[in-house]
Amino acid sequence: MTQSTSRLGRLLLSGAVAAVTMLSSSYLAVAEEDSWPSLRQSAFGDRAIAEDGMVILDAPQSAEDAAIVPLTVRVPPSVSQRLKSLTLFIDKNPNPLVAKINFGPAAGTGGERSFSTRVRIDNFSYVRAVLETEDGNLHIANKFVAAAGGCAAMQAKDPDSETVDLGKTLVKTFPPALYANPIWSGQVMIKHPNSNGMQLNINTAEFIPARFVKDVVVKRGGELVFQMESTFSISTNPNFRFTFGKGASNNLDVAITDTDGRVFTAQSTPSGS
Amino acid sequence: MAVMKSSQDRPVADPLLSCLGPFVSRQAFLHGAVALAAAPLLHVLPGHAGESLEVAEIAPGIFVHQGRYEVQSAENRGDMANASFIVGNDAVAVIDTLGSATVGEQLHAAVRIVTDRPIKYVINSHMHPDHVFGNAAFKADNPIFVGHYKLARGLGSRADRYLGANKQMMGEAVLEGTEIILPTLSVKDKVTLDLGGRTLLLEAQSTAHTDNDLIVTDSQTDTLFLADLLFSVHVPTLDGSIKGWLTLLDSLKDRKAARVVPGHGPHAMELPGALVPEQDYLSTITTDVRGLIKEGKTLEEAVKVAGMSQRDKWKLFDYYHARNVTAAFAELEWE
Repeated sequence: MTQSTSRLGRLLLSGAVAAVTMLSSSYLAVAEEDSWPSLRQSAFGDRAIAEDGMVILDAPQSAEDAAIVPLTVRVPPSVSQRLKSLTLFIDKNPNPLVAKINFGPAAGTGGERSFSTRVRIDNFSYVRAVLETEDGNLHIANKFVAAAGGCAAMQAKDPDSETVDLGKTLVKTFPPALYANPIWSGQVMIKHPNSNGMQLNINTAEFIPARFVKDVVVKRGGELVFQMESTFSISTNPNFRFTFGKGASNNLDVAITDTDGRVFTAQSTPSGS
Repeated sequence: MAVMKSSQDRPVADPLLSCLGPFVSRQAFLHGAVALAAAPLLHVLPGHAGESLEVAEIAPGIFVHQGRYEVQSAENRGDMANASFIVGNDAVAVIDTLGSATVGEQLHAAVRIVTDRPIKYVINSHMHPDHVFGNAAFKADNPIFVGHYKLARGLGSRADRYLGANKQMMGEAVLEGTEIILPTLSVKDKVTLDLGGRTLLLEAQSTAHTDNDLIVTDSQTDTLFLADLLFSVHVPTLDGSIKGWLTLLDSLKDRKAARVVPGHGPHAMELPGALVPEQDYLSTITTDVRGLIKEGKTLEEAVKVAGMSQRDKWKLFDYYHARNVTAAFAELEWE
């Protein structure tokens, strides 16, 4: 992990402890207290965070399937600055930190930028997106999501088939409707259980060890689009859709590392040309 | 809808049954099909604690309780799926126990009105709470609990969350006594259970509605219990693989059976017609979602439009459909 993770690294660790603690606490009790002030403190210290419309969070009011809740973070075209980072939180999840995305030079400017993924939501919770712009300022968008039917939230529907295909990675690029638009979009998906270490193996009565995607690096022609640290709040078969700046070549190279240290690499097939 | 009263050509295998009033003939059944299924044949007072559930004898010795087209609530106590029991010369097998110990006890009482033969098997068709949460009501009979070999993993790993969500929906009081009871007999391929004079064939399926679906066939009456592999009226719910489910339905088209019992829907239906609406529903979603993926659309966009042409064909559509599309999208985008 990189130097930027010191605070978040601690948060990751505390999340792991929280996950274990939660197993013994009741399902309902978790929904009560407001954990954001302390989360915010541990992630950003005393820095000011403005709710100023520079970042917009799209999430369903109630989750149809709490195991696959689509989240989209958008930065409106009126924001012209480069972006430094984006951090996603789900307050009530066992590990509230979902992911931290550090943007690189190929992330692009000059249009609406966005980042989408799918997450697990364990209980009724605030979801938060904190954007750090190039000037070092922090901007936030919050959304409350009612996770209806969170019962299946942490499981793959067909764990055996997931295991068979583990590591299969698809990378796609989508050129803009107007060729002059400098912003392209891309998608990375990987077959991975992203298991959380909270499931009992009922045959051995032991917890199935956590195994999840912890690092994703996406480059366009050798230049960094983004690097992301992620946790098991990302759904099974992690799926990311994002924008990037148009380059001479718009093929993407992706490297994904999981907590077992396995590295999966993939490239986009040339498209839109 | 009239209650059918013809009983002259119906041999009653169990003398205990004959005191229970009018039964329908097999012929009348075949003619009446779905219409019949909605008519209560065995009049038992509908549920209050301590009483028994209404069941219909759809073929000799085969009794089906029809669940409501609802989501679980304090009022329905988890009575929103079909549950069956089959009476043999020596023993009884129960297929699914409904959504709480409270309502499971009423199912147990319904069995005991019909017969005092031992309940030897409790079969869980799959892991969902509305089919397994009543298991505890049968514990005192010391039956063998039977399920697909993947049921234990599926239900075991979801147990806390199923209990939590159902407590929120039905309240603690209804779930008093409810416990997770996992199978003691696992079906990996096929297992035959002998009830005396009739056998049940249990067949484990590949991932479809869930990854632990079981199909049961009664040898004596050629009745096929499809459980949640067949939804009628109640919108199907997808918690496994849409492709697997469609493949399974396709293979069932060639299967002959005197009747099928759906997991949600009327007491009994006929093949192959019974499968058509569900096949239409799942194929429509598949076609729509594949098209949207090809156009580069996102999951959020797909949820708004895919399969909406099916909206007025199903009950509870608004409650489950978006979830089905979500699951289908997450599966089909890998093609």
